[in-house]
Amino acid sequence: MGRQATGRVMFKGSAGLLLASLYAFLYAPIIYVIYTSFNKDLIWPFPPQWTFSAYTGLAKESTYHEALWNSLLLGVGSAVMCTVLATMGSISILKYRSRWRGLIAVAYLAPLFIADLLVGISSLLFNRQVLDLPGNMVSAMIANAVHGTSFAFLIMLAQLARYDWRLDDAAMVFGAKPIRCFWEVTLPIIWPAMLGAFIISFILAFNNLEISFYNLGAIPTLPTLAWGSLRFGLDAELYALAALVNGVVLLVFTVMYLLMRYRIVSFGHRE
Amino acid sequence: MATATGGMGRRLGPEGRFLLMALPGALFIIFFLLLPILSIFVFSFWRTESYTLIADWNLDNYGVLFGQGTYMTFLIRTFITAVLVSLFCLVYAWPIAYFIAKHGDRYRLLLILALAAPFFTGIILRVTGIQSVMGPVGVVNLTLMEFGLPPVEFIMFTQTAVGIGIVYLFIPFMVTAIYLSLLNFDFELLEVAKINGAKPWRAFIEITWPLNWIGTVIGLVLVFVPAMAESITSRFLGGPNAASFGQILGLQFGETGTWALGSAMGVLLFIVSSAVLFAMWLTVNLQRSGFTGKEG
Repeated sequence: MGRQATGRVMFKGSAGLLLASLYAFLYAPIIYVIYTSFNKDLIWPFPPQWTFSAYTGLAKESTYHEALWNSLLLGVGSAVMCTVLATMGSISILKYRSRWRGLIAVAYLAPLFIADLLVGISSLLFNRQVLDLPGNMVSAMIANAVHGTSFAFLIMLAQLARYDWRLDDAAMVFGAKPIRCFWEVTLPIIWPAMLGAFIISFILAFNNLEISFYNLGAIPTLPTLAWGSLRFGLDAELYALAALVNGVVLLVFTVMYLLMRYRIVSFGHRE
Repeated sequence: MATATGGMGRRLGPEGRFLLMALPGALFIIFFLLLPILSIFVFSFWRTESYTLIADWNLDNYGVLFGQGTYMTFLIRTFITAVLVSLFCLVYAWPIAYFIAKHGDRYRLLLILALAAPFFTGIILRVTGIQSVMGPVGVVNLTLMEFGLPPVEFIMFTQTAVGIGIVYLFIPFMVTAIYLSLLNFDFELLEVAKINGAKPWRAFIEITWPLNWIGTVIGLVLVFVPAMAESITSRFLGGPNAASFGQILGLQFGETGTWALGSAMGVLLFIVSSAVLFAMWLTVNLQRSGFTGKEG
């Protein structure tokens, strides 16, 4: 008995250490980028020579504003499509029994099995050769949404697997129309799952390179801008922009943490 | 039971309502994923002339792929890297996902989102970041040399460096997939096992692992598929002897403009990945995974 308890503490400790090491691994390059953004020399920023020139450059240069705006537009547009389709798909799969259930689930998950690069080149060739469409924002949103929908669907499916659909039936027995039932019964329970699905599909589209690059034509987003500027070495402004984006993310996380800490919002966690 | 909803169910049966909800997404994916994949399959039998595809049916592209040894070398090298990276991620990610699901408490969502947050920084910046920290002339190696120590050789423009880069990019997917699976896993089953005298390790092997196998398979897929098509890390971290299949595939659509050959490479990539995925699929037992046959 005592040995099992020690084993459990040992596991908890080492798994915690593994998690910490993963965070360190994932964030080290990003912290380096942020650190470098405040330095004169991008290639070897040691010892530090502090400067804000990257940030003043960023404020002036409109290319970056345009790219950031396009990335946001692409991310939001794509994530809205993903969340709507994935919500409908996951509810239908979990709520109704149908002989098409397996087939539909396979269709929703199929994009997970296709690499970004293949989605990128195949939709480029399809749009160009078959539909005769040039690269534009809408095709990029759609191509990104294909992938995002699968991820969103998977997240919704996992989070809602334990949702009791009889609640909906109960509401309907008391005379609620399906739309009203969704707004008043289903939505308040599933919104954290939808938020998770939205955030993940937004992130995927916001910074996608391989799908966006082939489908955007000449429209710049942050990743395609970075790709394009590689030939001459990355600009300090890109580092600054990454630092700012990470600053916003950190702020959002801090707010989320505080909301959870003081139990104002639980984000779907049930005590 | 299915007709118990009565009321509004008169016009549409459950089957009809299911299709009304599920079809938009399914058709969306069929139209924007399946048709493009079919189209590159067709184009792989055509040829390109000065950046235009010409419908001149032939097998030349496949002849080039299988005939010239270099393409096969790229493919095999990429395949081996993808397999090893997936297995490494599996071992690294499992305890982490388990830890978050079991001990993450009310901060679970935040802990998982913190793994997704690096994706806000574009892939190129992150990979150049890795290069600057862990790369051949990065902070780690140059600091070692500064103190007169030998640099870490295995991260200097090698296939291992490429592998580290791929782990960096895709391990968050693996953790998340296993975590989502564990989210629906009934941990009380382990208590039952304990009461019946099972040691923790045995309970894990016989209960936790098999019941979360489908989440694990999805995690493996989410690492293996992009690792097979990876083109950025090999370019930055790999050096001349570690070019990947995806990197060469990308070239056909950029610099050289040989779309038909690129399509054939895409088809080959698709077939190899699908074969591996099919093999994994054979190991999944949906009944045990709790996604089907579950009725309250």
